[in-house]
Amino acid sequence: MNNTSALNTVSIKPPHIFSRIYSVWFRHIRVYCKNLFSNGFPPFIEPLMFLAGIGLGLGQYVREINGMSYIAFLATGMLVPPAMFTASFECTFGTFIRMEFDKVYDGMISASLTVRDLFVGEILFAGTKGFFFSTAVLIVVSCFGLIHSPMALLTPFVGFLTGLMFASLALFITSFVNNINHFNFYFTGLITPMFFFSGIVFPLDTLPAYAQWIAGFFPLKHAVSLVRAFCFNTFEPDLMLNLLYMILFIIVFSSLAIRRLSRRIIN
Amino acid sequence: MLNNSAIQVKNVVKHFKHLKAVDKLSFEVPTGICFGFLGPNGAGKTTMMKILCGKSKRDKVENDLVSVFGRDPDRDELAIKFISGIVPQEDNLDLELNVEQNLQIYAKFYGLSAAQSRPFIASVLNFMELSEKKTSGIRELSGGMKRRLLIARALINNPKILILDEPTTGLDPQVRHHIWDKLRTLKKQGVTILLTTHYMEEAYQICDELIIMNKGAKVLQGNPGDLIQNHIENYVLEILNMEIPITEYPESIRRESANHRHLLYSDDFNEIKKISDLFKSGEFILRQSNLEDVFLKITGSNLYE
Repeated sequence: MNNTSALNTVSIKPPHIFSRIYSVWFRHIRVYCKNLFSNGFPPFIEPLMFLAGIGLGLGQYVREINGMSYIAFLATGMLVPPAMFTASFECTFGTFIRMEFDKVYDGMISASLTVRDLFVGEILFAGTKGFFFSTAVLIVVSCFGLIHSPMALLTPFVGFLTGLMFASLALFITSFVNNINHFNFYFTGLITPMFFFSGIVFPLDTLPAYAQWIAGFFPLKHAVSLVRAFCFNTFEPDLMLNLLYMILFIIVFSSLAIRRLSRRIIN
Repeated sequence: MLNNSAIQVKNVVKHFKHLKAVDKLSFEVPTGICFGFLGPNGAGKTTMMKILCGKSKRDKVENDLVSVFGRDPDRDELAIKFISGIVPQEDNLDLELNVEQNLQIYAKFYGLSAAQSRPFIASVLNFMELSEKKTSGIRELSGGMKRRLLIARALINNPKILILDEPTTGLDPQVRHHIWDKLRTLKKQGVTILLTTHYMEEAYQICDELIIMNKGAKVLQGNPGDLIQNHIENYVLEILNMEIPITEYPESIRRESANHRHLLYSDDFNEIKKISDLFKSGEFILRQSNLEDVFLKITGSNLYE
């Protein structure tokens, strides 16, 4: 087998960092697409059920919110939570299983990859899933004629950023967790309230001031503000702050998470 | 650095909290040989292997040195991984992918596209005799096949160094011999091989040189044959399951006992044969000494702990 010696050169040139990160991302995409039907189906069905269940039901009582129909309000809010949920599950349970049970990472870092490559690739994969999930919701919601602005085509990019944010946060949490059941605290304690208090099912301005102040820290709230602006063409300077918040959030939590996970894996 | 040494290690120390895993270990591995690490569990073998490829960080001490083809894993982990193949102690194949996809994805980690990796994949599968399992899922493979696939995967980048952590633990004798054959072939092709093992026979079969480790430190180093010749008597009488130890025997015989097993060592076959005549067949084994005897003598009773 030594006649295939393309790699057996004198100078050692490992692949470029982009190529390495891409290879990790590619591994995840490959695995995800192996079960494309079971993985790709829910993002289209879930918003449908949510709109039917809450929108049609509750919509009978709540006709209008801030001058728009309740179902349009809800539908536009629904563009980002699936990105949050998918990235959160991917980088808590998914990461933990790959790290501790299946030992996939141990195999991967035996190849020419660093731990940083591993997690940057993983965060980007979660972002990609976020993009895909937001796109799925956008398609469903558009089919119901609830979105008209062409700017709404940009919302999957907010889904991408949402995926990056929640992947970074989830990895940070995972770096502390030694027992897979402890993720339940994270989901019940943070992700679920985030869903209800980020202005998706009801506008936050009806809440008491302190609750609004707390909600201001929820990363999901900023993503929701952005998608609503794109869907209804209501651009305000504040949106730059939402975007800035998201970007800073990604940078801070991904660096913390990668630093902690590196120490955990390379001991 | 000498041109012909693949790996140089000097004064390496590694602690895990209060446990000293590697204690001032030094050794040098010439290019193209098979170098073994022998020792009981917890001797520091795996830790040393991990330090070599950057999967564990050694303690910061003065005047230590780790060099793998001139690279220090603390600074240049990627370069080392790029020219190494690593076979882990625990199976870590990607269960979500089949045999061929595992290799394809792994080749991608080395920067090879699907088209570029095709001949490499065919070549390593053929080499490890797994070609007909190409489309099988990982869960369908037997333990021996998984291990062979792990070796195939480690060869996908045509490595200069192959690092194997207990490559044949838990495998049946046939697969072990198969793997040993393959490792010998690789050695002939110029690959430097490092392996850890508990099996004295494995070390004897394929290692050109080995070190015996205990509690993180090197206790002995040499060629397996020389170690046996220089550090242990030629013959052993193993007396099995005897509650009352024999007390009367010539002074030239060295005795080791553990639980109800007694080992009598001597260079004189006749002397030891005479003692064996006192026992019924099945109560004793009379044999040539081997690496395991050296190991037991050097590491004390650790094997029984």
